[in-house]
Amino acid sequence: MADTSVFSELNAVVLKIEVATGDRVQDGDILIMLEAMKMEIPVTAPRDGTVAAILVQEKQKVEEGQKLAILGE
Amino acid sequence: MNWRAELEELRLRERLAHEMGGADKVKRQHDGGRLTVRERIDGLVDGGSFHETGAVAGSATYDQHNELESFTASNCVFGRACIDGRPVVVVGDDFTVRGGSADAAIHEKPLMAERMAAEFRLPIVRIIEGSGGGGSVKTIETKGRANLPGGVGTSLGFHYTTANMAVVPVVALGLGSVAGLGAARLAASHYSVMTKSSAMFVAGPPVVARVGQNLSKQELGGWEIQTRSGAVDHAVDTEEETFACARRFLSYLPSSVHELPPKLDSDDDPERRDESLMQVIPKDRRKVYKVRPIIEALVDRGSFFEMGAMFGRSIVTGLARLDGRAVAVMASDPYFYGGSWTAAACQKIVRFVDLAETFHLPVVYLMDCPGFLIGLEAERAATIRHGVRAMAAINQTTVPWCTIIIRNCFGVAGAAHQPAGRLALRYAWLSGYWGSLPLEGGIEAAYRAEIDAAADPAAKLSEIEQRLNKLRSPFRSAEAFWVEEIIDPRESRPLLCEFARLSDKLVGPGPCALSMRP
Repeated sequence: MADTSVFSELNAVVLKIEVATGDRVQDGDILIMLEAMKMEIPVTAPRDGTVAAILVQEKQKVEEGQKLAILGE
Repeated sequence: MNWRAELEELRLRERLAHEMGGADKVKRQHDGGRLTVRERIDGLVDGGSFHETGAVAGSATYDQHNELESFTASNCVFGRACIDGRPVVVVGDDFTVRGGSADAAIHEKPLMAERMAAEFRLPIVRIIEGSGGGGSVKTIETKGRANLPGGVGTSLGFHYTTANMAVVPVVALGLGSVAGLGAARLAASHYSVMTKSSAMFVAGPPVVARVGQNLSKQELGGWEIQTRSGAVDHAVDTEEETFACARRFLSYLPSSVHELPPKLDSDDDPERRDESLMQVIPKDRRKVYKVRPIIEALVDRGSFFEMGAMFGRSIVTGLARLDGRAVAVMASDPYFYGGSWTAAACQKIVRFVDLAETFHLPVVYLMDCPGFLIGLEAERAATIRHGVRAMAAINQTTVPWCTIIIRNCFGVAGAAHQPAGRLALRYAWLSGYWGSLPLEGGIEAAYRAEIDAAADPAAKLSEIEQRLNKLRSPFRSAEAFWVEEIIDPRESRPLLCEFARLSDKLVGPGPCALSMRP
């Protein structure tokens, strides 16, 4: 299966990274918690897989469309 | 004596028209994964219902005896048909005939399609591919002169392209590459759908390359670009799905502003109470929840039809039914800036509310709005300008309106939760939470002196916060009748269905005072 990129859907700050590279995740699991307008916005796994890479750090500002993580097989 | 010979010639000419751009071009269309314009019309409308106008218009060549030698149809096919038994006008570009472009167009054909929709009060579905009959530099050579856009005798098409939006439902499908005039005809609609393999742009890659951008069709105007920009409402995988979208959209609307939306029998109990509504809103106000399942729980089962999901995403908009009546539903989506109104969300609201007003649809607003989006980017986007436009659009509606305050209601964007100056129905859920501005930051602004004077400013801040929080129970507002009703969220569907039934008597057919713009 090809890798799947996970993008930010909005401008936000990375509040918490909930998984580490190599973790097995299931569809819907929270990968990263973003914060915008004081709200916690979960970024979830679009499918089952293994976290291949986390491309951001906590407290980092991210933009709409920015790649946050890569999900492998 | 009879007219058999003439009839045979008519049938011959019709047959030639049905060959479109010829077998090679039809094959090329199919090889590209696309249907021909005639297959598209067949797929869109009720079987056998298409009655074509002007099939035999095109360009012909004659031999030395003036006998017909060859015939190529014009690249616009239009006529009347039925969708779900209701008459409509369909107009489609034939890309197999010179790429749908102007040098094979007869401008009066798409114009008459638009006029037919306007004057016979019928919805129009535009099937667009190519430049939509628009210009090509080739016409400079074929005509021997340059076209003046909007010049003498050419502006009536533009008149109907926009004016029809105040009269009849306009649906536009972008199938293939859509550019220039085609892009304008796609965007100037109440609802537009493209396939994910299509692309839409003002000018395509070769023209854009001349301003220094080397992009593929998809990079320039693919579905992700156009649905996120709000230029196109929806994208699907197949052409058949675009036809289904068009039919579904039209099912909620009257055939024109001179009628009322069709009412259906509903088999979903209007008194149905959904238990999940008691726990769907998190008590932690920083936590988000999914709003679409809430909409689904409230409206007639399976009736929610979302429009523009990828644009202005802090507001969800769509059509639905309540006790069989078509309604326009707006709902905040806390996943996007907590449901704050962004400039894009405000543009989406204006267009959506105008659609509801134009076609006599009562509006239901499930609100959770902490205000406008704030910060530098929001200021740069003129959020407040778009915000007051959205508020004005809401205020200018005359259709019945019902708001349920799901959670937050703050600031000016919060105030725009129902039309000012007339009575709407309003309910607040137990999770309702409101104020002029949020405590966070609001306290620092209002109690600056008190905080600065304190020995421990942080402790003072938290003391004030606790003091204010004690006072902000929604029951205290209800006690003062600042909000008329706080409800058990499970009561929402019965109350919304009652609202839809009450609305029966409040809407009447006719054009609305404000003409809708694309």
